[in-house]
Amino acid sequence: MILQALYDYAQRKGDALPEDGFEDVEIKYLIKIREDGSLIDLISTIEDKKGHVYSKVPMRVARSGKTPKASLLLDNVGYILLDDLKRETFINLIENLPVELKSTREIQAVIAFYRTNKANGFDKISFCELWEECRKTTGYLSFIIDGEDEIVPQLAAVREYQRNITAAKTEGGEDNESDEIINSVCLITGEKSVISRIHSATSIIGAKSNAKLVGFQKNSGYDSYGKEQSYNAPVSIKAEAAYTKALNYLIKSKENRFRLGEDTIVFWAEKKEAEAFESSFSAFFATDFDDPDRNVREVKNLFSTINTGKLESIDSNFYVLCLSPNAARISVRFWETGKVETFAKRIKQHFDDFEIIRPSFDEKEYLTLYQILSAMALEHKIENVAPNLTGFVTQSILKGLPYPTTLQQQCIRRIRAEQNVTRERAAILKAYINRLNRQKNIKEVSVALDRTNTNKGYLLGRLFAAFEKVQQDTHPNLNATITDRFYGAASTNPVTVFTQLMRLNRHHLSSYENNGLKVIREKEIGEIMNAIDSFPAHLDLNEQSYFAIGYYHEKQSFFEKSEKNEGVN
Amino acid sequence: MREFFDKMFCLEVWGDYACFTRPEMKVERVSYDVITPSAARAIFEAIFWKPAFYWKIKKIEVLNPIKWMNLRRNEVGAVANDKSSGIYIEDNRQQRAGLFLKDVKYRIYADLVFIPPKQRKETINPLPEYLIDTEEKIDLTERELTDEHQNENPAKYNAMFERRAKKGQCFFQPYFGCREFSCFFKLVDPEKEHSTPIPETRDLGFMLYDMDYSNPDDIRPAFFRAKMENGVINVPDWESEEVRK
Repeated sequence: MILQALYDYAQRKGDALPEDGFEDVEIKYLIKIREDGSLIDLISTIEDKKGHVYSKVPMRVARSGKTPKASLLLDNVGYILLDDLKRETFINLIENLPVELKSTREIQAVIAFYRTNKANGFDKISFCELWEECRKTTGYLSFIIDGEDEIVPQLAAVREYQRNITAAKTEGGEDNESDEIINSVCLITGEKSVISRIHSATSIIGAKSNAKLVGFQKNSGYDSYGKEQSYNAPVSIKAEAAYTKALNYLIKSKENRFRLGEDTIVFWAEKKEAEAFESSFSAFFATDFDDPDRNVREVKNLFSTINTGKLESIDSNFYVLCLSPNAARISVRFWETGKVETFAKRIKQHFDDFEIIRPSFDEKEYLTLYQILSAMALEHKIENVAPNLTGFVTQSILKGLPYPTTLQQQCIRRIRAEQNVTRERAAILKAYINRLNRQKNIKEVSVALDRTNTNKGYLLGRLFAAFEKVQQDTHPNLNATITDRFYGAASTNPVTVFTQLMRLNRHHLSSYENNGLKVIREKEIGEIMNAIDSFPAHLDLNEQSYFAIGYYHEKQSFFEKSEKNEGVN
Repeated sequence: MREFFDKMFCLEVWGDYACFTRPEMKVERVSYDVITPSAARAIFEAIFWKPAFYWKIKKIEVLNPIKWMNLRRNEVGAVANDKSSGIYIEDNRQQRAGLFLKDVKYRIYADLVFIPPKQRKETINPLPEYLIDTEEKIDLTERELTDEHQNENPAKYNAMFERRAKKGQCFFQPYFGCREFSCFFKLVDPEKEHSTPIPETRDLGFMLYDMDYSNPDDIRPAFFRAKMENGVINVPDWESEEVRK
């Protein structure tokens, strides 16, 4: 299913994907040489820790096992400079090029660097300024001739050659490794054709650079029926090229992927009509650092398109694939398919669930995943959140399932640790409870204060907020309010502290100078107390969530009132 | 030889987890969406099998909605070998993640296809040459089929299977793709007990049909295009065009 969808995507995109046999590679160092092969210098293209990405260079070869296999005209330090055996392989590859290509001055210069003009070329490399740094790098190196702008692999003649050999390979020509040509049914296309032995790398961040989606190490228990490596999963060379190209394109693109903790999530649409949705998809989940307002815009856009019913007419499937790195392998975390409309509705549901009343200074209309998750982390650092929680939350959103229980637990833990219910935390708890309640057909928690809600936890939270307000009114400059002292106990074992809080409250009420305000507060407290018949001994996690939401709602309602008053005044 | 027809049986199978591993993602396991015909065949074979017949899967009905879960397990990265001195698990530890199915329930329909004695595969004699008595060997190969064989009644296999399935007997616990995901089974009569497959219609892409064992030196997979219509997958014949070998 997954490979099939990628293959179809490659067919749909056609030329927009990089040409077969070419790719864009990040090259960190360039060996600058003259036409006669003598060395000028070793230059670095690194800016901001990343090398320059050179487009449309011959594709690097897929390496596996111990036999050295060099890529054409660009490779890592071992192949170009350090390791003798590997270097010989590299030079031999160049020396075995067809005469027309070999006789060009650029290729001659490279050969001279290694052979004829070795004294001035290769031997002088260790005297270069950047030599020490370059030796240790894991990046790629290539050559550039003095006076040229393009590096040697970008030469037109080199590209032509690469095109020719790629075409020959896909028609079942001899593989460099001269292993047998196996004909079998391809599991993507269903046709009988030549099967590829190794699949190309489709690396994601966090995995090694040769990480593959489909790969079988020899002698590690992955081989079956006497088949080795990728003969275990027959995919024709043509289909393999197509799906790896598509997957690499998606992984490297900015628009079709976003990162979530360790995982990379790629997504694409089956048909062209859904491309508008495709381009706005990442905005729902990740923050775009170039354009921070994009989130809000896209969400608003989404809401309006759902309301107008435009999405129903798009009869295209939409695919979301979450990949997780595991050393040199890539595992599939989850895979979702569905119609565009289904995904749009589920995303809208997510934002609706997280809707909660907010103070006027908080301008964020919609919360991004990053904001939600960091609200639950120690010191608001996302590294402190459990790595699979991000995956689970995204899955809940995309599948329309209840949020993970860990979300609620983490949130309540944070609230108790910091004695502070922020907007994000209240929103998380509200969303969690509502999704649960929806399944059981229980009334949902509202966005703002709901005076008719009779849930015990909710009422107690409201009462607690009211008590805190009274204390703040009468004692404005306290270091520690009742929230700091009693929140934990009040939300878990109300019966132990509420009597004490009521006593304190009476005491605070008597300190009011403004009688009008005192009456308002008393009325509020009286209204809440009417609905409570007794203080329970324990509140379970769900009721603690209600407590937090009630507390937050009541607090916000005080701000509103005071703002209204100030407005009037 | 008596006249016979191939009887169709229906088993309802269910379990907590399932992994019908896709061949391409065998290392970090990803399951197919539904049970493969080869896994269904294995469930029938677990209950009852003899070289005299084979199971032909005809239809698969999906009764529970398709749910996924992700799990990372500690596994061993080497294959045991009777010539070696064993594997030290701690030296060969590997972590592999998998995307499995959860809460699965199917109804699988299969024909018990009798193989006439002449068409059965030759059994390979595991005895070394020097232990085989040549006279006895000639005697056995030249002998005509005995009366016993002539009167073999294929219906007896049908009866044996029914008895075993009703009692819940099996040679080994049936499983969903991987041995650790055992499943439970029940023989049902589809006429009497109706089932409601899930109302989903989907194209599931190319699925593994089974392995082609006709050449023991080169065992190959066979694929077919699986289409689920209202929760029912009709499995084509092995010989048909639809099964790509």
